Amino acid sequence: MATPDIIFYSAKGSPFSQRVEIAFQEAKADITKYSIDLRDKPEWYASRVNSTGMLPVVVYGSPRSDPEHPSPESAKIAESHILLEFIADLYLDSGLLPKDPVERARVRLFIDAAVTKLTAPTSAFFHGGSPDGFIAALMEIQELLPPTANFAVGDHFTIADAAIAPFLARWELRLRNDVGKFEEGTGLRVYEELFQSERFARLQKYYASISNRESFKNSFDPEYILAMDTGRLGRH
Amino acid sequence: MATPDIIFYTAKVCPYAQRVEIAFQEAKADVTRYPIDLLNKPEWYAPRVNPASKVPAVVYGSTKSDPENPSPESARVTESLVLLEFVADLYPDSGLLPKDPVERARARFFIDAVSTKVFPPFIAFSFRGESPDAFIAAVAEIQELLPPAAQFAVGDHFTIADAALAPFLGRWELLLRNDLGKFEEGTGPRVYKELFQSERFARLQKYYASISSRESFKNSFDPEYLVAMAKKRLGRQ
Repeated sequence: MATPDIIFYSAKGSPFSQRVEIAFQEAKADITKYSIDLRDKPEWYASRVNSTGMLPVVVYGSPRSDPEHPSPESAKIAESHILLEFIADLYLDSGLLPKDPVERARVRLFIDAAVTKLTAPTSAFFHGGSPDGFIAALMEIQELLPPTANFAVGDHFTIADAAIAPFLARWELRLRNDVGKFEEGTGLRVYEELFQSERFARLQKYYASISNRESFKNSFDPEYILAMDTGRLGRH
Repeated sequence: MATPDIIFYTAKVCPYAQRVEIAFQEAKADVTRYPIDLLNKPEWYAPRVNPASKVPAVVYGSTKSDPENPSPESARVTESLVLLEFVADLYPDSGLLPKDPVERARARFFIDAVSTKVFPPFIAFSFRGESPDAFIAAVAEIQELLPPAAQFAVGDHFTIADAALAPFLGRWELLLRNDLGKFEEGTGPRVYKELFQSERFARLQKYYASISSRESFKNSFDPEYLVAMAKKRLGRQ
């Protein structure tokens, strides 16, 4: 029996979509990617793909030849973290999730810690609040990284890395370009602290491993994202 | 090689711990349970088991450990949803997660929908006394996710999706029926009638009946104890 077709609806520039893009590339999956500009979403998207209108979505079991008319019988799967697990389930030998139950739990705990600790302080900071919570949260994440391995839970790239990489990269990009609603210069100051100081050496090494990964480079368009973020978060 | 030893740190009052208890029972797992009194935690618990000092937590290792002093080499796993996946991974034939990737995604979507849509309005209603409307609307959305004819959240087999919601559904039924919450007196039974007796929520009621008659649920849910704890928390007799 032929493997069901996979159509991946991806939002251009979105970190949530990039998570899924990275995972598909790491799995060397043969899929059809349909890229959507969130500022100009096709009017058929909500009625034919996902009633909430949100992305990313994967349609599984509908012919790749016609992404604009997915079959009503096909499975539609949403939510980036659920999609990361789905891709790991489809490609069991990709290493996206280890086979050992304890190692799998470590991957999931890393993702959980990253989301729980980082979401609120990051949003607060980039919307003009203090950097302290953001920096402290990244210190906690750094503490979770294994001292010498390449990635979040060991030497193999997993969905833990796919989950955090798009966000780390956008923060690096914004800070280096001083983009955010904070006072001018704050971004550069925080950039120095996180991406140049000795205190965050481990994080920098991790970021280098992540950002050198082909799957990351292929799915990250810094000019596009910087323009988007400057528009949203710039000081006008 | 001997089967690894599992120590499960739990508390009867905690719905998150009950999720994991249900999963262990469904898997017919051989587990050593150690109850933690959340109002009087042993001083060794955070340094030796879980620095966050919460339950549920599992210590998993090859050496048989003393629950009060587990081997530092054994793995520690925390967070109820991570633990549900862990139990499903340890017991792949339990059916706790289906084998098909699409069905697995459906189970996870159900769990995510409950966490993101229902929990915040419930907390606003029950812990802060705000209007129940948002909570009732959220439960209606979850009801829409239930398959029209199957027994459980993603089909006829009991999965981690059911284990994730059951402890909360059980407590909502119990506490609303007993009018226990920070809402105005009488609001609990009114919302109870809507969710657990009205025609609008017939599908939910059928689902609740399947869940609450499950052995793993009954064995881990003590209504009298939970009512007493809720009254204590609310400063009532």
